[in-house]
Amino acid sequence: MTNALELAAISKAFDGRVALDRADFAARWGEVHALLGENGAGKSTLMTIACGLYAPDSGDLVIDGSQRSLAGPAEATALGVGMVHQHFKLVPEFTVLENVALTCGRRYRGQATLRRALTETAEKVGLPVAAGARVRDLSVAERQRVEIVRTVMLGVRILILDEPTAVLTDREAETLLAMVRGLAADGTCVILITHKLHEVKAHADRVTVMRAGRTVARGLDAATLDVPELARLMVGETLVPPAARPRPPGATAFAAEGLRVRRADGTTAVIGLGFSIGAGEIYGLAGVGGNGQTELVQAIAGVMPVEAGRLSLGDADITHAAPAGRRKLGLRVIPADRHRLALAADLDVADNLALTGLASGRYGPALWASRPAMRRAAAAAIADFDVRGAAPDTPVRLLSGGNAQKLVLARELDDGCRLIVAHSPTRGLDVRACVAVHAALIRARDAGAAILLISEDLDEIMALSGRIGVIAGGRITAEFSPPFFRPAIGEAMVGHAPAAPREEAPEPHVGVRVAAGGRP
Amino acid sequence: MMALALSSRRHVTRLQSTGALLGGVLFGLAISLALLLAQGIAITAVFAEFVGFVFLSDAGLASVAVEATPLVLAGLAGAVALKVRFWNIGIEGQLWLGAIGATGVALYDAGPEGMRLALMAAAAMAAGAAWIAIPALLRIRLGVNEIIATLLLNYVAFLLVQHLVFGAWKDPQQNFPYTAGFDAPVEQLARLGWGKTHAGLLIALAAVALVWLLTERSRLGAYMRAVGASPEVARATGVPVLLTVVAAVALSGALAGLAGFSVAAGEEHRLTQHLGLGYGFSGILIAFLGRFRALGVLVAGVLVAGLYVAGKSLQQFYQLPAALIELIQAIILFSVVGADFFARYRIHRG
Repeated sequence: MTNALELAAISKAFDGRVALDRADFAARWGEVHALLGENGAGKSTLMTIACGLYAPDSGDLVIDGSQRSLAGPAEATALGVGMVHQHFKLVPEFTVLENVALTCGRRYRGQATLRRALTETAEKVGLPVAAGARVRDLSVAERQRVEIVRTVMLGVRILILDEPTAVLTDREAETLLAMVRGLAADGTCVILITHKLHEVKAHADRVTVMRAGRTVARGLDAATLDVPELARLMVGETLVPPAARPRPPGATAFAAEGLRVRRADGTTAVIGLGFSIGAGEIYGLAGVGGNGQTELVQAIAGVMPVEAGRLSLGDADITHAAPAGRRKLGLRVIPADRHRLALAADLDVADNLALTGLASGRYGPALWASRPAMRRAAAAAIADFDVRGAAPDTPVRLLSGGNAQKLVLARELDDGCRLIVAHSPTRGLDVRACVAVHAALIRARDAGAAILLISEDLDEIMALSGRIGVIAGGRITAEFSPPFFRPAIGEAMVGHAPAAPREEAPEPHVGVRVAAGGRP
Repeated sequence: MMALALSSRRHVTRLQSTGALLGGVLFGLAISLALLLAQGIAITAVFAEFVGFVFLSDAGLASVAVEATPLVLAGLAGAVALKVRFWNIGIEGQLWLGAIGATGVALYDAGPEGMRLALMAAAAMAAGAAWIAIPALLRIRLGVNEIIATLLLNYVAFLLVQHLVFGAWKDPQQNFPYTAGFDAPVEQLARLGWGKTHAGLLIALAAVALVWLLTERSRLGAYMRAVGASPEVARATGVPVLLTVVAAVALSGALAGLAGFSVAAGEEHRLTQHLGLGYGFSGILIAFLGRFRALGVLVAGVLVAGLYVAGKSLQQFYQLPAALIELIQAIILFSVVGADFFARYRIHRG
């Protein structure tokens, strides 16, 4: 049987940093082939070579049995290779159809033809899209559908999906992976770049594992592997996630009461939301993305104004305090969008780490900021948090997602932290980085910090939290105590409220809290 | 058909960035050379002026030092504002205001004689900072684009000077549009005994050192880098963004005002009708050439000063239009900015 795609002994370096070191890969027609590896293992780089975005320094690329050297993505598309990237390449202001026209306009002449082709492909693939909707109004899952359908429309027979489920909820991911199976059944070669082990196990036929730019296992039968073995292949050793032992929380360290936050466009994102967290407690906030989580984080961080309600940290009212004032009181934030709210991409590691500590005089008295002191602190943080590929003067832009996240942790989880707001702190991170993040949060909790953990990953929330609230439509709609029952939380997340008493038609400013408790 | 494609580089190395800068300068100089040759000037004459006189003769070097003094200050003014993403196109206006402030102190003999020069400098810096405070406030409070506001205030400042030199401050002894001369030596910067160089040169060098310290070694400098790199991240991490912007912008205006003081008290010894013309534009060019860094500004300031000095003598000896020197500066600025593109993107077939 011919391989659909074969990459042999591919090497690639960027500015002298080796990204791929004689990496191998081969996938067959009609299979779902998982490409597994840690952050920065070279998975995405290898696949961008397969789709013509980068040229390899050395090595062979074989598509459908013929050796190729690609001049660009257009040539790859012509040969039937297409990739859906982690960051979607859609114009938000355009409609779905206009975005499809950008890449498929030459293949399907005329709007009517294009529209028909879009509808037909979407139906065939099983991912319905609304042709006339503006992309900016679509959810992340819907945008991803547009990307996939658009790529399939180009006649792609080798479909590469880069971390497709990273931005999806459990249910959306299931739909997507079922669709992927359908495509493979029709003969398409689907390559799934991922670091989620259970996905590999559940949905892939075969798996190739990469570590540090090399292929460490090639084309293994997924059915014969178990998850711990996959993890061992991926990280080189078996990692045991830290057990979060429950502790009785201390006095209330943080409270939100009747919180109301309006987005810049005038719509209300958070409606009368209230909860409190004790010192040494992790409060998990579960919910489908886009239900007010981002705005809640920004309101607590002080970068988005609070319209009504009250935020208190310890005894202090911080409802209208400036970000700097909140930090002084011990607020630390690990935002979901670290490049917009935590790290300045163009600054180096030392500058980024020093940002929050300058005012304390840690880097020099009075108005001084000693570069040597900043570099020393950065070197220590890099070692403590195992940040890979970074020196104090490396621009943060060059770090992989997981390593950039470790930098944020190194800066935020300092001695003075009393409330940590962590929003999807492990999104896009590999197993090893996840374990490091969770361990750091647990350490901070044990040191007495109150932690608000906001995540769409239920496993993460259930593993770490002392209590779990569910956010939906800008309100806390349910609150759970251990032992947690996964389906009950899941149901609350998607709006099918648990069969517990619930106040009817809540006033907008009243926080509705339903203690559904843990069902057996 | 051969199609070209662009791809952006993940990381621009220092070598690529320096290469682009040098390439841009050389490309601009080559076009300028072609322009000069087209004016009928022999290539040997061009090199004799630019290299021989300007950079190899003592008198030439002294003239370059004199020219470089306000240019370096103006370049620093452009650079510190750009560090916090504030486009100060109004360097010239602030320089005019600086000259007005210094002249006011001199004309009204304010303060004791021993303090006069220091007072003139302080007044110049305060006036420059006050002039930039208008567009700064407009931007911070009302979101008015500072490029337009600073640019337009240049014309207001220019006309204000014309109003003074033709009116209230006109030298009563003379029929020319300028003020009475400053009293030597208490209102004039001391000569250094090398050509026409004056103490302003030392002030400019001190300003370079101070700006270097401030931007590279101080807390404010670290805040400025953060605000320049990402205002949102800076705000979220507790950096006093507003204070940082205000400090950098005020410093920019004060430096431009100081340039005005240097020209008035060191070269002209009075407020004249055309004292500040062209410095604003050169300041922006120098900030760009110097990559917004203090030491880079010093080097670029000296090079642009050389261009000025050579241009002036070409003007005198070959009757070239004065606009040609401004044209050359503009060409170099365009080619440097354009060359950045080649550092940031890779062009390949595809």
